[in-house]
Amino acid sequence: MELYSQFIKQLTLWQYELNSYISTTIRSINDENTLSSSLLILAIAFVYGLVHAAGPGHGKALVAFYFTSNKNDYKKAFKMGYMISIFHAISALLFTFGIFFILKSMFRQNFNELSQIAIQISAVMIIFVAIYLIVHAIKERNLKEKSEVPRSKSETAVAFSAGVVPCPGVMTIVLFCIVLKQYLLGILAALSMSIGMGLTISLAGILSIALNKKASGFLQTKTYMLEIFGGVLILLLGLFLLSSSFNIL
Amino acid sequence: MINYKKILFIYFLFISTLFSHPHTFIDVYPTIEVKNAKTETIHFEWVLDDMSSSMLIMEYDQNGDNVIDKDENYFIYKNYFSIYETSNFYTEIKINDKVQTVEPKNFRTTIKDNRIHYSFDIEKNYETKNLTIDFADKDFFHAMILKKEFVNIKGAKAVVNGVDNDFYFAYRLELKELVK
Repeated sequence: MELYSQFIKQLTLWQYELNSYISTTIRSINDENTLSSSLLILAIAFVYGLVHAAGPGHGKALVAFYFTSNKNDYKKAFKMGYMISIFHAISALLFTFGIFFILKSMFRQNFNELSQIAIQISAVMIIFVAIYLIVHAIKERNLKEKSEVPRSKSETAVAFSAGVVPCPGVMTIVLFCIVLKQYLLGILAALSMSIGMGLTISLAGILSIALNKKASGFLQTKTYMLEIFGGVLILLLGLFLLSSSFNIL
Repeated sequence: MINYKKILFIYFLFISTLFSHPHTFIDVYPTIEVKNAKTETIHFEWVLDDMSSSMLIMEYDQNGDNVIDKDENYFIYKNYFSIYETSNFYTEIKINDKVQTVEPKNFRTTIKDNRIHYSFDIEKNYETKNLTIDFADKDFFHAMILKKEFVNIKGAKAVVNGVDNDFYFAYRLELKELVK
């Protein structure tokens, strides 16, 4: 596993540098360099999002598992990655502005408590999505029909269930901007970071599809088996998230 | 021939094994004094990143004077720092591979250059032979960063390495005898 831990170390060091670079640049904004510094911050936030999402996380796992059963549609994988990141950004902005301006105190504690609730909601939703996928696959098998039953509802549900948990990384940048009274920059930085994260999450789905295609004998033979397999993995993910969220509390 | 089934399996394992990525970056500054092959004093200082610090300063510095007083320090220890006890304060002190319990003393929070500093002592005299100190958050929410230039050792030589712990990475500090 040395390669794995080296990869994690490298990702961490990149984020460490980017995090420091963003905060230094935001602090350096003054009347004369507002535009150039803001554009620089948005560019760094995009790269930060790209790298931040490259570490293991439940969003990517969910997309990868979901697309074990959706083996040809790269566009859908791309779309879902972005749907998750959009929900992620909206959730982070609502949480940050909500805690800061409504609750007004104990940001970290309120954030931890609300995040915990969001994780539990997310986990329950993921479990429901998994059950839906498994039941859908079994029904399909019984009907002996081909698989093109509309799945857009389940895709939105998958994206929402992963995206509802606010990203603490995005929240930290937004809050930092709020403290320095750079409200618009905070919102734009959150969006820019989310676009970066969306790209990485999409790639996780695309990679899952590509690997499934290559491992054809393993998963491609029966559609319903694929759906059940993907559903079971998602179910396990949901159960893991739920149990770990209660342990943390 | 490439085994795609294996790659797929490793890929799933990889994206499923950890469920967070670092959101707080902590520079670790160890100051250790060694006498007669035993630690005389062990002092750690954690310096939190600028963004996390700004969030915490809002909560910690309740009277807004940019100084953490005694009451605020107690509040921080009780509500924020002591919770790290379950993770052994992200500091794994091992002697002959046996993990020692970390008991921080003289905990102090300060604000310097917009950053939160936590400092504390470990009042134990460990034999430095086969002593290792690893810094890592296994849950990967915090990234503990140890650079060679952060280390201040008297009476021994410091060696900083990275350690592969299968599913997480740690920085390791080892103390070597000074060559006379």
